[in-house]
Amino acid sequence: MQTRKFVLLVLALSLVGALVFAGGQRGAAAEKPAQVKVVYMTAGDVNMLALGQNVIGPQLAAKYPEIAVMTVHTGPGNAGSQLIYEKLEAESQSNKESWDVDVAMVHQIFMKWAMEKDLLMPYAKDLTNWKYVTSPFAKNSLGVNIEGYAVPMFHSQTALAYNPDYVKDPPKSYEELVAWVKKNPGKFGYNGIKGGMSGVSFTVGWVYWKTGKWEKYSVTGPFEQSEVDSWEQAFKDLGEFNKYVTFTAGNVGTLDSLNRGEIWMGPVWVDMFFTFMNEGKLDPKTRMILPEPGMPGQPMYFVIPKKAAHPEEAKKFVDFVSSPEFQAKEIVMRFNWYPGIDGANLKGAIPADIYDKIYGDVTPDDLARKGRAFPLADYFSAMLESYEKWIK
Amino acid sequence: MLLMYAYPFVSSFTRSFVGSEGNLTLQNYAKTWDLYLKDVAFTFSVTVFSTSVTAALAVLLAMYLRFRQSVISRMLVGLYKLPIFIPFVVVAQMMNTFLAPHGLLNLALAQIGLINIDKPLELFNFWGLSFGFVWKMVPFSVLIIHGGFQMIDNSYIEAARSAGASRAKVITRILIPMSKSSIMVALVLVYSQIVGTFTLPYMLIGGKIPTTITVDIAHRVNYFRDFGVANTLGVFSYLLVLATAIYYLRSSVKRVAEAEPSRR
Repeated sequence: MQTRKFVLLVLALSLVGALVFAGGQRGAAAEKPAQVKVVYMTAGDVNMLALGQNVIGPQLAAKYPEIAVMTVHTGPGNAGSQLIYEKLEAESQSNKESWDVDVAMVHQIFMKWAMEKDLLMPYAKDLTNWKYVTSPFAKNSLGVNIEGYAVPMFHSQTALAYNPDYVKDPPKSYEELVAWVKKNPGKFGYNGIKGGMSGVSFTVGWVYWKTGKWEKYSVTGPFEQSEVDSWEQAFKDLGEFNKYVTFTAGNVGTLDSLNRGEIWMGPVWVDMFFTFMNEGKLDPKTRMILPEPGMPGQPMYFVIPKKAAHPEEAKKFVDFVSSPEFQAKEIVMRFNWYPGIDGANLKGAIPADIYDKIYGDVTPDDLARKGRAFPLADYFSAMLESYEKWIK
Repeated sequence: MLLMYAYPFVSSFTRSFVGSEGNLTLQNYAKTWDLYLKDVAFTFSVTVFSTSVTAALAVLLAMYLRFRQSVISRMLVGLYKLPIFIPFVVVAQMMNTFLAPHGLLNLALAQIGLINIDKPLELFNFWGLSFGFVWKMVPFSVLIIHGGFQMIDNSYIEAARSAGASRAKVITRILIPMSKSSIMVALVLVYSQIVGTFTLPYMLIGGKIPTTITVDIAHRVNYFRDFGVANTLGVFSYLLVLATAIYYLRSSVKRVAEAEPSRR
């Protein structure tokens, strides 16, 4: 009897709650009848969802009360971008006059797919902040010309982090690193290729170094099996190198190991490095170096679909997030990424000490000279599989 | 049942024979054989080792709890169930900091002078992984085995005792034989859980060679979207649990058969 009463009570309460909630919703909508709902789809990790929901949405609404942002999150990695691509392609095939998605944030590979199917709007040159967009990544994505179709929102880069207490004179190239690990066995650590992207990036950088063909693999192509067959020795050398290194437990594992002093050097994502440092999880004296001939990094892009329902609002959206103020405060200072626009324009907007910290070890010049792209999809898969094939 | 369990099982099995162009082929098996055989062997050895250690420890602990009625044993009864409710991902994070070269274990050992912290025990490997599995699985097995022990009436033990049996005899001749089925059930469940666990190996030895089948499956799907090889790896893990699954089914069929006549 008692439980029955209780269940009834809970039912009644939830009914009342639902009614109040629904009423509240209607009330709120009635107050601002002229609002435009901008649908924003984002790939990437959950921090991308946070960026859309907690940062861009509210700030944009404060500046343009008529714009309400609805953030849709599709998931990490190229697979997240693939979902966005599939959505746009379906809309294109349905011959609808206006498409659901107004603006999207995507990975490099997406640009190749979407440009081939002509799914995007050439909007970027209409933005007032276009003049700040100078990165080569804004003109070319994995060999595809994208100038005018995309604005890079941020750039994330991998580099080697090291503990200056033990490493006084850090190796400046992959070649010096090989000599260094032989002198300091077990003190270089990375997470292989199955434990996260920082290890993958280190491996890709290794192949670029051994072959010298980063341009063919990551920009121009084409894919040739003979290239893949020529990697045997490069990977066997990496297998030999692996005998002198410590394997860490993931991207975070490398940073933790550095912090505990287990390893003295290892590849990391620059944004994770600074985030850990800001949260007190990494010794603040830890430093970074981008070795010759370079390591991969990647931008993420804002795009506007060809037949977006609200193109003007979408442009305001992208213009807002590519402004020096937003890039400085949110992209650099909150999320610790490199800005999507030219870093030189942020100098006034960021406190000098933060600017110096972010660009202290890995300078804008380093990024321009040694910041590589990840390989084209076929080469990328082939590199990962060669690792498994040759390194036992 | 058919829709939710049988269909995915059959489809994952058949798809392991489908190539990238939708053709029927053995190429997934060739690739798995070529790249991942060592990982299948590694998974098997970790699983067998962890299961055996778990069984030994669980039987010992269950016996202790069966025979000793003290404050400590009552406290243990309350405490030992705790790890059953801790998810694997939390266990993995714990082991990560506990077993690291400069983790809790190594620092403690260095403090009491057993090891030199500059040459710490390397535990992100077979041994550390097995330690994690044993830590997580012993309580679960104790729960089942202890239950079996408690079903055995004290009168058997007292009878054996009064006939002059030592405690060791009581254990090996009465307790273990009489609760054989619950011990085997615990073993089968522990074994098949370990084969299928992803988070612990991923977070401890994800980047290493060799690693476990589950890590390889995730790798094939995440980086290649290659469901053919992933399904093939899945088939290998079915094979690993097949023997125990058959044993489990047969013993439960036997139990049903024994129960039937009495019901009639």
